[in-house]
Amino acid sequence: MQNVISDPDQAHEHDSGEERKLIGDRGYYFLNRMQGETGVNISACYQCERCTNACPVSHFMDIKPHQTIRYVQLGWREDLLKSSTIWICLSCEMCSTYCPNEVDVAEIINHLRNMAAHSSITPKERSLAVFHQTFLEVLQKSGRVNEFRLMNAYYSKPGILKERVKQGILVEDLLLGMTLLRKGRLKLFTPKSRAIKEIKKVYSQKRGEIV
Amino acid sequence: MRLSFYPGCSLEGMANDYARSIDAVFKDLGIELVEIKDWSCCGSTAAHSLNQAMSAVLPARNLAAAEKMGLDLVSPCAMCFNRLRFSQNMIKKKVFDIPWPVTGNIRVHDMTRFLAEPPMIKLIKERILKPLNRLRVVCYYGCQMVRPPKITGYTDYENPQTIDRIVAATGAKVIDWSYKATCCGASIGVARKEIGESLTRRILQKARQTGAEAIVVSCPLCQSNLDMIQKDRSKRHTPVFYFTEFLRLSFEEHGDPKWFKMHFTDPVPLLKTKGLLS
Ligand code: SF4
Ligand code: SF4
Repeated sequence: MQNVISDPDQAHEHDSGEERKLIGDRGYYFLNRMQGETGVNISACYQCERCTNACPVSHFMDIKPHQTIRYVQLGWREDLLKSSTIWICLSCEMCSTYCPNEVDVAEIINHLRNMAAHSSITPKERSLAVFHQTFLEVLQKSGRVNEFRLMNAYYSKPGILKERVKQGILVEDLLLGMTLLRKGRLKLFTPKSRAIKEIKKVYSQKRGEIV
Repeated sequence: MRLSFYPGCSLEGMANDYARSIDAVFKDLGIELVEIKDWSCCGSTAAHSLNQAMSAVLPARNLAAAEKMGLDLVSPCAMCFNRLRFSQNMIKKKVFDIPWPVTGNIRVHDMTRFLAEPPMIKLIKERILKPLNRLRVVCYYGCQMVRPPKITGYTDYENPQTIDRIVAATGAKVIDWSYKATCCGASIGVARKEIGESLTRRILQKARQTGAEAIVVSCPLCQSNLDMIQKDRSKRHTPVFYFTEFLRLSFEEHGDPKWFKMHFTDPVPLLKTKGLLS
């Protein structure tokens, strides 16, 4: 009988047809950097896949949670920042809770998401990234987040409206919005917090602005 | 007893009914909730996704305000609770500069655990005028309230019991099930509808398979997700209650259908057939 896994390069579907990546010395550097910044012992992972099995959305990800950890060990930074994984992850913490080696997978993914947000790489799941960004913008403007303002701001982001039309869910969205208004769940005006000034100041400090 | 209260953004909008039921219930229990003056948003998922420093700093402002009052803090929203606890941890580790004077030493309770303490359960039992003993429900916790256990302090994170105990105290029959702490998708449904719906539908289906007539939750986002997915009003209805709505219903002789008008899946018919609303 023919051995199905005769060619080791074909053994993993993920690798097949792709150029083989070299590990190089970056692996060590990137791994140390990630371990230092997150305080997680990433080297402890022994690829048992418990994290991926616990994850409710792993089938929507291109790099599975356990692979993410392996990629960090290998220093494949760009692949991770370009992945859909970092945006699809719900931060539900199932992976971290069940890892036998206490590898905080959710924290690693969250850290990569932060890195991606501060990099020049276009997020693979643009609409999800834009939603997070819109949320923070609304937060900065009013100190609290009103759902009506949030959705308005989200829809006025470039490309979002077009995408909704293309997916054919615009009408559904509008109807939902109307029902929510009728039921009194969407409030057009809610008080702003007087914290705006303080929050803006912290934000500019975080961006490295001194005055 | 006095506690400082951090409502969070949802309770001003989508979960306004939750806010009203909390008011009523705590008045009945004789516990004073002092809303933090001029509170600001905790940053939610967006802050820790894009700017980790802000996710520690934003909740700290509210912690500082609560410390000034010298009162322990209670939060009804799972996400806010999680973020407040996280920020508290970070403050103690001194990794981020916090521009407000704050030590992180007050206690941050999530509302369900606060009410599930034995003395509180006793107090609740004393207040009940109308036991809900003909209802069969499942309780749903979601993620942020129980996980990661390091932050939330839950030891029974696989099978949390807080809402179960409170609901059982009202006399309703609580059914055990395996999907208590499975993620509902949170806000992913806004941008990626199919992912959100796949998660929510599964939870709903599992809840129905247990024979439950309603789902009891404590998180505003879980409530909206589980409630709004039933908007097509087809076949079966499984109303999604906040646990405080349950308490309020049992605390008052005559319930009011108006309390539930913000729900998509109208719970009034169910309550009427059970003789709990007239
Ligand atoms: S559960 Fe932990 S040890 Fe297992 S693959 Fe995931 S990160 Fe590695
Ligand atoms: S935190 Fe992210 S990766 Fe981990 S189980 Fe949840 S969705 Fe999956």
